[in-house]
Amino acid sequence: MTAFALALGALLAVAAVVVVALPFLREPEPVDDRLGTLSPAERERLALAEERDQALAALKELELDHRTGKVNDEDYRALVRPLRRRAAETLRALDAYAARMSEIEPNQPEIPEPAVVPEPTPVPHQPVEPAVVPEPVPPPDEGDRPVRPDVPEPTPQ
Amino acid sequence: MPELGRIALVICLGLSAYAVIAGAYAAATGKRRLALSARNALVACVGATLVAAAVLLAALVRSDFSFVYVGDHTSLELPTPYKISAFWGGQEGSLLLWLLILTVYSTAAVLLARRTGGTLVAWAVPVLGVVVGFFSLVLVAVSSPFATQAAPPDGIGLNPSLQNPYMVSHPPALYLGYVGLAIPFAFGMAALLSRRTDELWIVLIRRWTLLAWTFLGIGQLLGAHWAYVEVGWGGYFAWDPVENAALMPWLAATAFLHSVMIQEKRGMLKVWNMLLVIGAFCLSLFGTFLTRSGILNSIHSFTEGPLGAWFLGFICLVVVASTALVLARLPLLRAKTRLESPISREATFLYNNLLLVAFCLTILWGVVYPILSEAVRGEQMTVGPPYYNFFLKAFGLPLLLLMGIGPLVAWRRASLRSLGRTFAWPAAIALLVGLALLPLGAGDSIPGLVAYSFAAFVLASIVLEFARGTRARRALSGEPWPSALGSLVSRNRRRYGGYVVHAAIVLLAIGVAGSSAYDTIRETELGPGQSMDVGAYTLTYQRLAVREGSNALERRAVVRVARNGRSLGTLEAGKNSYRAEGQVSNEVGIRSDWRTGEDLFVIADEIGRDGRVAFEVHISPLINLIWLAGGVFLVGSLVALWPDAREQRRLAERYTGVPAAA
Repeated sequence: MTAFALALGALLAVAAVVVVALPFLREPEPVDDRLGTLSPAERERLALAEERDQALAALKELELDHRTGKVNDEDYRALVRPLRRRAAETLRALDAYAARMSEIEPNQPEIPEPAVVPEPTPVPHQPVEPAVVPEPVPPPDEGDRPVRPDVPEPTPQ
Repeated sequence: MPELGRIALVICLGLSAYAVIAGAYAAATGKRRLALSARNALVACVGATLVAAAVLLAALVRSDFSFVYVGDHTSLELPTPYKISAFWGGQEGSLLLWLLILTVYSTAAVLLARRTGGTLVAWAVPVLGVVVGFFSLVLVAVSSPFATQAAPPDGIGLNPSLQNPYMVSHPPALYLGYVGLAIPFAFGMAALLSRRTDELWIVLIRRWTLLAWTFLGIGQLLGAHWAYVEVGWGGYFAWDPVENAALMPWLAATAFLHSVMIQEKRGMLKVWNMLLVIGAFCLSLFGTFLTRSGILNSIHSFTEGPLGAWFLGFICLVVVASTALVLARLPLLRAKTRLESPISREATFLYNNLLLVAFCLTILWGVVYPILSEAVRGEQMTVGPPYYNFFLKAFGLPLLLLMGIGPLVAWRRASLRSLGRTFAWPAAIALLVGLALLPLGAGDSIPGLVAYSFAAFVLASIVLEFARGTRARRALSGEPWPSALGSLVSRNRRRYGGYVVHAAIVLLAIGVAGSSAYDTIRETELGPGQSMDVGAYTLTYQRLAVREGSNALERRAVVRVARNGRSLGTLEAGKNSYRAEGQVSNEVGIRSDWRTGEDLFVIADEIGRDGRVAFEVHISPLINLIWLAGGVFLVGSLVALWPDAREQRRLAERYTGVPAAA
């Protein structure tokens, strides 16, 4: 029994060594052996994407709180403006990032553009304010893909 | 084949050492193939541990008493299901179960995160390797389940109190919870080591934390029910250190599940969340240390065996290393925003966190104080239920109230006018319930009355949340009410699953308040044919029945039960005398009324030679709501855990930069 157990143990050890060595056996001479780390540009995109998701989720939460009576109209108006501004700024920054990337790496596959929305003309030192509080959008869903909010047209000077 | 088991554990130890060294080197220097190799070593640990577990299980089922462990925990006449459950009935086997669950969880976690995890997974591998390595080392060098002896003709047997169907499911459920907390810890540490303190680590551990927390909760309820039906003192939770050991990490994980939402939505509490993840894991290690080191019996039994020192050393290492890492990465953990108002959803979560952590720390002090007292002053002391019950009321009642307040308050800030409108109905219902209960005698216990009123407030706020959400959904989609409710829940699983869990906690609170604040106990000795009255019940002791069970002599007092003069049949309460183990266990008689949630609980405390029996009878109102809460808790957890394809697509888009196909 002991010899059989030892043989089984040896078999187990060999199997473990093979499993551990598998990445080297599969790719003895890899083209690229670097671990995928985030470049500064990717870090920037990720930070913007997180910021965008947070802003859009906050907008959706606010809509639901408004619809279910937890936030009154007055509070809603006061809260929705900075949130919409933040969402719009993040979306613009992400667009700018995508444009910059496509210029730097024209041969690389481009990051697809999000749904088309009217691009506001930037006006220096002009705060972006929504003209009117929009109609409530459907209640937020945790899993929904972020939807671009209407970016309000800035008031011409 | 104990040799095979030993070899398998040595291989597991070697693999985990490789995962730590190669994994850390690969992650630090950015070597892809080496990182994959280290990950594979962690995966291979599952195979090695499975072989070791299979060897022990086969020995248990075959009653191979040449294994010391099998001889110490089973006997020939022990029924097979209990031979299997003896796997976790002793120290060595339960540590092997820890290792088995840990390797399976670790493998699943790193494989599921391989697409989006990147350097985070590369760093999680050595962290998990350290934990796997520690348990492998303990099983190889300190507490081996594969120690052998000259096989005796029969084993000592399993402790009678462990020969209960609940002991087949309760320890594995608890271990699935304890061990699961290693995954959030590993990814938290990996986030700090890789400097990737964005949301990715939270996204990767969200479900693992929820899974571990669910198992811990269910495991505790199964344990409470086991204590209720098997230990036979009429209660279900005695603030025993072993019970507290499971409650503490559950409280820390509950705090984390709430505060992590603030980090996701507002980018706040990053340090706090990291500390909670570390705390929950350390408390799960501490729980294992408490139950396995012998320190609860006496500080002397702790110092006699080496296991306690190993565990204590490892817990100290984890605390010091992880705290140092948090301090080193503090600049990366700065909050993006600040709390806008003390009256907001995030503020209620913060208050809930403070109460949960304070409660957890008071329990920890209650557990540690007797140990410290014995170590320093040489005096054995106990911290009893009055200490814990005081803090349960002090922290538990405000927590219950916050469960109702939280969903009614808006994120960021809420005005008093809005609060007045949303609070009106739940507050009115709570007041009405409190007033209605007064004439029914609920005023005998003020904390009980407050708990019922708060419970009504929470239930009303949950029902309102569902109703208002469904109405909003219906107004937009035009769906009928049931499908509007269905789509509301399926599109917001974490939120509404959480509300269902809150409802379960309310049921638990009502059950605990009812059974502890309004219970009736009576003790009487009866001879055959004599009766006793307890509340509305009349119990008549008819006769003593004696029979031979499969591995025990069973003596049962047969009692006829009537309520308000109407016969409800008979129940049996008595004792089992286990032959192999030479021990006696209480076998209680319980009659449950599912309409009122009340139990009639009969203990045959002493059975005299003349056939007279000393009975202890409890009437526990609403106690069955506690077990019902377990089912509701499981449903709510499953709703929150269920994967959401929309969310997966959104996160894939975020972390790859490419919109996923719908």
